Formats: sequence, C-alpha cells, structure tokens
Amino acid sequence: MKIDRDEAKRIAGLAHLEFDDAGLDRMAGEMTKILSYIDQLREVDVAGFDSGSSAEATPLRDDVPRPSVDRAAVASNAPAFSADGHFIVPKVIGE
Amino acid sequence: MSELLNLPWHEAKTAATARELVDASLCAIDERNPALNAFLHVARDAAGGMPVAVKDNIVTTGMPTTCASRILGSFVSPFDATAVARLRQSGCSIVGKTNLDEFAMGSSTEHSAFGTARNPWDPTRVPGGSSGGSAVAVAARMVPAALGSETGGSVRQPAALCGVVGLKPTYGRISRNGLVAFGSSVDQIGILTKTVRECAELLGVIAGPDPLDSTSSFAPVDDYAADLDAGIRGLRFGVVREAVSQLEGEVRANFDDALAVLRGAGAVIEEVSVPTIGYAIAVYYIVANAEASANLSRFDGIRYGHRSARAKTIREVYFESRGEGFGDEVKRRIMLGTFALSSGYYDAYYGRAQAVRARLRADFDAAFARFDYLLTPTTPEAAFAIGAKTDDPLAMYLSDIFTAPANLVGIPAIAVPSGFWRGKLPLSLQIMGPRFSERALFRAASAFERETGYWRELPPVCT
Repeated sequence: MKIDRDEAKRIAGLAHLEFDDAGLDRMAGEMTKILSYIDQLREVDVAGFDSGSSAEATPLRDDVPRPSVDRAAVASNAPAFSADGHFIVPKVIGE
Repeated sequence: MSELLNLPWHEAKTAATARELVDASLCAIDERNPALNAFLHVARDAAGGMPVAVKDNIVTTGMPTTCASRILGSFVSPFDATAVARLRQSGCSIVGKTNLDEFAMGSSTEHSAFGTARNPWDPTRVPGGSSGGSAVAVAARMVPAALGSETGGSVRQPAALCGVVGLKPTYGRISRNGLVAFGSSVDQIGILTKTVRECAELLGVIAGPDPLDSTSSFAPVDDYAADLDAGIRGLRFGVVREAVSQLEGEVRANFDDALAVLRGAGAVIEEVSVPTIGYAIAVYYIVANAEASANLSRFDGIRYGHRSARAKTIREVYFESRGEGFGDEVKRRIMLGTFALSSGYYDAYYGRAQAVRARLRADFDAAFARFDYLLTPTTPEAAFAIGAKTDDPLAMYLSDIFTAPANLVGIPAIAVPSGFWRGKLPLSLQIMGPRFSERALFRAASAFERETGYWRELPPVCT
C-alpha cells in the first residue's frame, strides 16, 4: 500500500494532527514501508475465522450514584477553567 | 544499607523496618538513577513500606503522571489506579514513577519525551521498552519490584534486556482502571521483580475483579506462590517451531541450554507448530494502533494537559496542542491506526487483522491442547545500542516478535533470566501458558530459576 502526501494529509485531518510538508512526506514514506510489511496478512487463510471481537460478554456494574472526581482537582488540571466551574474554550459557533 | 535491596522480598521485610526499606530505596535511587534515568519522579516523602516503583502511565495521587509525554503537562491524577490502591492498602509504598516510551509506544524507552533510560548492564545500550524505567529500577536494585504495562511485550521485553523477571498476566487478571489506555483489547498491567516468588506474591495483591474495569475477570484469585517448589517433573513444554527456527549464534545456544535445564528437571520437551505466530507483529500494529487512535483522541487541549499558546480557534486548539504535545512515534501510530479504521480501508486492514488474530487464537488453543506450556526466547537478541533502531520503526517493532502474540491471544507469559550474551548482557526465556494459568507459570519459572540462579548476578552499577 502506497501512501502519498495527499493521503497522509487526509489522514492527518481525520486524526487532528498537524504536520508541515516535510513532516507529511516523512510520515507518508514511513507509513508506506510499515503497511507493506502489514500487507503480508493478505496471504493468511482466514476462512471460518470471524473478524468480529471474540471477547466474552462484559458484565455491567450496578448503576448507583457514587462520588465523582473532586472539582478542585479537575480545575487544577485544566488549561483554562472558569470560577463558576466550566472549561473555557475558544468560540466554537461562527468560526 | 542498599544491600537490603539485594535480598528477596520475604527476607528483606524481616531484616529491616518499613522505614529502613524505603530509605534504602531512596538512597539507591539518589546514587544510581542519575546515570540511568529510570525515574521521572521520585517521592521523597514516601511513607514506610515495601518500596515499589510505578510506570508513569499508571495514575497516582500526590505525584505527576506524564506518560513520558509533553501533552500531559503538569497533570496530577485525582485518583489512584486500582492496582496502585491495592499496593498501598497492602503496605507497599510508591517511591516514584518510572520512565517509558511516550504513551508506552516503543521498545527501547528512547521515545520518552524526557530522555532515554539506560541499561544498567551497559549504559550505552537501551533497557528495552516501553516499561524500560521499571526494568532498570529493579535490575539496578533501586526497588524490589515495579509495575509496568504491556500492549505487545512492554514488560517482558525490557525485563529480558535488563535481566529481571517480567510477568504479563492473562487479559483481565489485573484491573486496567487508572492505566492510561493505549490498545484496550490488549493492554494489561504487568509486574517486574528480581525473583519469581516476589512476582507471584505481588500478583496476589493486585489481581482480582474491579467494578471500575468491566473487562476485569471474576476468575478466582489463586495462591500464586503455592507451587513454587513443586518442580516440573512430567510437565509438557512445547517449543514453538516457527519462532525458534530462525535463531542463530549465542541466542540459539542460550535457548538450547535453557531447554537442557528444564529437561534435567524432568520436563518433557517437544516441538510444536503455531503456524500463524509470525504474523503477530503485523496484526498487532493494526489492532493496537487502531485502538490507540481512538483512545488518544482524549488529549485535545481542553480538559487537562498541554494547550498550544498559538491556538486562537477550537480547531487550532486540537491540531496545534496535539501537534506540539505528541512525539513522532505517537503521531506515527495514531496515523497508522486512523488509516486502518478509515472508510475504504477498514475491511482490508482492521477487519483482516482481527480475522488473523482469531486464527492465531485458535492456533494457540490447539497447541495448549497438547502442552502445559509453550517456550520461546523472550527477545530475538540482547540489548541493542542506543540509537541503533530509532531511524527504522519497523526494525524496532520486530523487537517484540516473540512477545506480541500473548497480548493478542490474551494469555499469560513470563520472562525469566536465562544467562548472558558475550558474558555481560542478559538473555531471557519466555514461558507462555493458557488463560489464567499464572500459578502454573510461576511453578515452571521458579523451577528454572532454582536450577540457574541468574537473579543473583548484579549489574556493574550495583557493585
């Protein structure tokens, strides 16, 4: 599988990652090399093997209220937090 | 005083007080860590107790958790991981947080944002990774035990390269609550110690179900140290043909020596085929990175961690915070994972990888129908030079060729020291068992350790 600069740019957009042109070229080259190794999976006979998860059923815990994370601790970790208890972000609407 | 830390845990705790043990640990860290960079944070105010180091992608109150990434900034977790809470409740003291490849993505600890850790047997070489700091901390006798984490061999591979015992338990055996998520269907907390007994005793402390991790297992917690002296006479070990057929030179000779030791202790050893084992690295890099691309979307510069000072719009907060905060290897893996899940490629990559994984699981089941254990070397080579593989991601990935299968299949596996390459760099034997066979794994590992005694060898930094 060959990844070119445009494809690397498309994937970076999906992944919310920023690269300059040199970074995109490097990433495209490395991904092409790694994916060519991964392409050996095409030769495996997987007839009869499901591609879905075979994990056991996941048990659920009781849905009862319990103390949540301390708000002061959340505030101290946040890049921007308002005095009345909200995360502050740049304007989203009308961007 | 640091000689206390050369003793196995059950001897050390009768030879000194809890305070003396922690002081000995902090003293050894002060003396040896500057040259080795195993610790990212040292808890100078640690309470008395059995000193334990914790990989810095497992959250702890009262000290930072960085994942060796710039994107977490000065993050301090408001809660303890379940495994950490259980350690503290049992009288252990967390003396520090250990270095790792950023977000546990790597096999050498060179992808840490805070500098590589160094191998105590030869500081020009890597300690392995991603739990490199934890392996160095135990190997250089700065702590008797450390927690690490595994997604594809990140406990066993550094344990092997540093000459210590490393356990990857069955998927679900230890709660993942508080382990910063990488590949959720493969992640598992693991344990690194000097000796098999210490590893077995610690597993008993931290294993068991947890309402905060719905994938934690309700399987009963065993008495993991019960069979350590039971021996292995008559037990059946399968040597994985596809894995060992390519071994050469001293690594091959060391592995053959290990088989002779087991045979001498009464084990029955035969070759067995696991036909798809050679595809594990290819499967791993699709499955784990696909899951990572989703898990790491939470690092967005909004709720915690680094926010770019240049960002003016919400889009810039996402793209620039992540662009500045993540290192190259993390970006490469997010890109690969995003690609494998993207429209048009999902079936060909993610779907196919999951199907091969299902076949790999069936191949292991067939092997375990005939054998109690499966054997390979833990790694294909001894510790490599710092810088040797940083420009070749694929070569780095292949360091995990023998360890990644156990993560994909969900089985437990243990790395035990098996001698030295050219007389000075550790090599390691890997023993794998069926799901929830940890007690039997410790039995076999203990028999091997008793016959060989490599844990008594100390790296130059300790002598």
